[in-house]
Amino acid sequence: MTELMTPKSPQWWKKDDVKKTFILWIICTAVIGFIGVEFHVRNIVAPASENMSSIISLIRIFTWAASPVAGLVAAMCITVLTSGRHYGDNPPEEADHEIRNSPRTAAVWIVVSGALTLFALIGGLIVLQHDNEAILDTQAIQVKVTGQQWVWNFDYSNGARSEDLYLPVNKPVVFHITSVDVKHSFWVVQMGIKMDANPGYTTETAVTPDKIGVFDVRCAELCGLLHAYMQTKVHVVSQADYDAWLSAHAATEAGA
Amino acid sequence: MNKRVLAALGTVILGVAVIAGVGSYVANAKNDSRVLAATPAGTMDTPQGMLPHATLDISVYPDSMAGMHGKDGGAHPGYVSYGPVTNFEVPAHSVITMTVTNYDGGESLNNDYFARVRGTLDGSALLNGERMTHISPDAVGHTFTIHGLAVEQDEFFVSVPMKAVAEEDMPEEGYTSKPNVTVFTFVTGGPGEYIWNCEYPCGDGTIAKFGAAMSTMGYMSGHFTVKG
Amino acid sequence: MTTLTQNTATAPGKSIIEKLNVITALALGVISAVVVWRLSLAFLPEDAEGARLFSREDKITLLSMCGWFVGFMTGIGALVGPFRWLMGKDLAHDENMFLAGENMGPKRYFRYTTDHKVVGIQYLFITILIFFLGGGLAMLIRTNLGTPEGGWLHAQAYNSIVGTHGILMIVGTIIMVTGPFGNFIMPIMIGARDMAFPRLNALSFWLIVAAAIPLLWGQFIGGITTGWSAYNPLASQAPLGMDGYIMYICIFAISTMVAGANITTTVVKMRAKGMTWNRTPIFIYGTVASVALALPAFPVFFLSQVLSAFDRALDTSFYNTAGGGSGWLYENLFWLMGHPEVYVILIPSLAALMEMAPVFTRRPLFSFNVAIMGIAGISGLSVLVWAHHMYISGWAPLLNAPFMLTTELISIPTGMLFLVLVGTLWRGRLWMTMPLMSIFALLWNFMIGGITGIYLSDVPADAFLHGSMYVTAHFHYTLMGAGLTGAVAALVYWFPKMTGRMFDKTLSWIAFWMIQIGFNVAFVGMFMVGLAGQPRRVESYAPTFNTANMVTTIGAYTIMIGFLVLLHGVISSARSGVKAPKNPWQAKTLEWSVDYPIPLENFDVLPTVTSDAYGYGKAKS
Repeated sequence: MTELMTPKSPQWWKKDDVKKTFILWIICTAVIGFIGVEFHVRNIVAPASENMSSIISLIRIFTWAASPVAGLVAAMCITVLTSGRHYGDNPPEEADHEIRNSPRTAAVWIVVSGALTLFALIGGLIVLQHDNEAILDTQAIQVKVTGQQWVWNFDYSNGARSEDLYLPVNKPVVFHITSVDVKHSFWVVQMGIKMDANPGYTTETAVTPDKIGVFDVRCAELCGLLHAYMQTKVHVVSQADYDAWLSAHAATEAGA
Repeated sequence: MNKRVLAALGTVILGVAVIAGVGSYVANAKNDSRVLAATPAGTMDTPQGMLPHATLDISVYPDSMAGMHGKDGGAHPGYVSYGPVTNFEVPAHSVITMTVTNYDGGESLNNDYFARVRGTLDGSALLNGERMTHISPDAVGHTFTIHGLAVEQDEFFVSVPMKAVAEEDMPEEGYTSKPNVTVFTFVTGGPGEYIWNCEYPCGDGTIAKFGAAMSTMGYMSGHFTVKG
Repeated sequence: MTTLTQNTATAPGKSIIEKLNVITALALGVISAVVVWRLSLAFLPEDAEGARLFSREDKITLLSMCGWFVGFMTGIGALVGPFRWLMGKDLAHDENMFLAGENMGPKRYFRYTTDHKVVGIQYLFITILIFFLGGGLAMLIRTNLGTPEGGWLHAQAYNSIVGTHGILMIVGTIIMVTGPFGNFIMPIMIGARDMAFPRLNALSFWLIVAAAIPLLWGQFIGGITTGWSAYNPLASQAPLGMDGYIMYICIFAISTMVAGANITTTVVKMRAKGMTWNRTPIFIYGTVASVALALPAFPVFFLSQVLSAFDRALDTSFYNTAGGGSGWLYENLFWLMGHPEVYVILIPSLAALMEMAPVFTRRPLFSFNVAIMGIAGISGLSVLVWAHHMYISGWAPLLNAPFMLTTELISIPTGMLFLVLVGTLWRGRLWMTMPLMSIFALLWNFMIGGITGIYLSDVPADAFLHGSMYVTAHFHYTLMGAGLTGAVAALVYWFPKMTGRMFDKTLSWIAFWMIQIGFNVAFVGMFMVGLAGQPRRVESYAPTFNTANMVTTIGAYTIMIGFLVLLHGVISSARSGVKAPKNPWQAKTLEWSVDYPIPLENFDVLPTVTSDAYGYGKAKS
């Protein structure tokens, strides 16, 4: 803010437009942070796993971290726009200064944006590491997911198969995802997990559902003609219901 | 008002007209505008109680000359096709009996999940009059697989494999005299928009055999509407 | 010897180049395509009955398109120069002057004209055409999505429209600033008589015209049903229209490379005397950064499509896992181009607005050095972030963390550009014109685009957001809200220099507000459905998303009206607008020092530069 230093006013922070901007900054930061968070939290799906809950808190944190920057830009724009506008076909008179530079402002700006970036990065890395660990859980339920032009189907370790997914609540599950034709993307919407189904490869992702209910599975990668319809359901049920469902379906598959 | 602004209004109207023209042209360029409604056939006793009954009678051909694309087969005479049309409409909360006559040969599925009858009453179908729950995944001609959007409408999934006509029964010209007839019965839920498609890879000469006829509307896929 | 060859080249009546124009080009292109088509029909063997891949039709299509391409470029006269040069002579002086369009009148816009001002206008025309084609398709998409069940358009027609809209807009936005303004304004701004390679300049434009036909052709043979990213193996499975896409990209990539080499050379070698790097306007930096980024990016794009053509037509397996290849190879090649490409689009637009900011605030550009650092930083980092498009592809989960780092680092140089713009507005005297308001619009839109980009750059959040409408809204905020806003402002700003008339003020304001309000309505709605879980590129969706989709559709129609008003403004102002003075904005860059109409080689005496162009404001006494 050395830009604002002029011989007449040694204390730049006492200038009217700076004071106005400062107040506006606080207001704008609060408004942008609040609206930004509310917009996301109100529109985003209700979480059905810890992954999804932590995504929502990440969005919350990032929004609040970014709002001072957006707030400052907004405050300065409002100050500028409200302090004298010139209309007409000829230019207004020249500005009353010719300041070209302010190394100190630039330095502060860069350091602060660097710090915010680092903050966002660390926040993301912690959650990422947590998600990666879950894939290694050998005690988890293992489900094979097969994407195929325009249906999903699921194979369980006891031989049961289905076109909609059944999972017990509060039990970790690891998905082994593949495709038999083109690329699909396995998206369990309310659980905040997504992993591409690649032909010829198996990819993994993991989640622990923490709510009983019926949730959505959609394909998130354009996979041809009926991509829009490549959806199914995931039923999260109690352990007892899950066991009953599993053995009934395994019996069906084994049946003649 | 400024004369220029009025003139601009003219440009806007012209532009909208052009876009609307292109849009209606594209929207009308469909080869599957006809819909086949299920024929009502009294009522039927099911585990869910007495329900209205309706029937649908369709076929699968090894080319496009027999269905709605005309005698010359339309744009792609070589494509396998369902017929007589590919869009169907059935009543809600009813029992539907579908008869599919398959005139086409076949080979292996790329996913044997679809070799089993799924979603029909008691999980079975009649193949040439005999009850079955699955066929060999290496002798599938086509499948008729109904599925769809999974939000705000009842879940609906029916998949039935059609046995392939044996290699030696496939004539050089015309259609075989020994088609495989599959009859299956299922119960519809509430009204909704679903789609069906064939899950046997029959788009010869394309990656995963799912291009060509499989990826073009009016051949091996279509809309399946459950009407309230 | 020399005199002799020159005589033979010019003496007998009209030289060949005088006979060639866009009509001969179209004729030769069509004839050549038909000949190649008949020949390949006659000579290419039938596909074997049980072949893994039926490729005969692909071969025929690709060969015919190549036939079109060679025929068209020959017919327009692109080969005359190189051919003469191969024969050991070059074009004579009067032939070169003819090529430059000297004293030719409007006909020069329909020929292989080398004058940079003609090329600039040609680029402007084709950019507008591309935007209206792509925009019209966007309206069809939004109309189809007005109701949840879809079905107004056929599913494959819908997919094809989505893909075509995408690739048209990508191409349109890539050329929207560096094409019209990089060619028309940039050489005058640096005080040069023309581009370094005038014939390459004409080549780069006519290549884009040549490319357009395969894309159009593709619409009638199955369409581009894969989205603009054309992921393999889906693209290998897709109908013949895909070959149109492949040819389009290959030819366009050559055009971009040619233009990139030309603009870079021009700026490095041909700046006026005294125009040191410190005195070079920021718009020039933006243009060079953009085309210099395109130089490494587009060869990779070209390569990715050549391999795709091989997979389709020659049954190779570069992208087919079953044959030993991998779809991940395609994704890597594609995004190696794809991410630098968004900055290819953004940087020149931002730079154009930074160029305008001092003019409309009557104060010097704030922190010129920081602006250059920002542009350089974005350019450098943007080639290291491509795999953030592949976080959830499963290709290399271990690389997610490093790519998250590079991606989030980009927010630092981007922040610098914000500082430059806001700093320049601060304590300026606002001259309320549409270009000035575009700076505020850009700050608003780009802030939203930037912050949503932070969520997307975060791997865990991306696991939810990737492939949803949220992503679509995000990149429209950056490419359209920021990029296109800058380009439209540049059009209004440089309109007097390019046409000699002022852009109608009323119409520019109506267009501005309709576009910006419509834009924010449309894409806020799209953020909402993305958060609620609607995937991208779907032809129908669950009824629960209907309200927000309807909002988006209404916003989209508003944008359409805004752009039609803008189009009317362009046409009517160019024909009968108020005659512009030499320097209507009282700006200090060199292009405002030449009179309209600008003479063929711009300057009688090349200017000498003694200061930078930002000496606005007056020192406080």
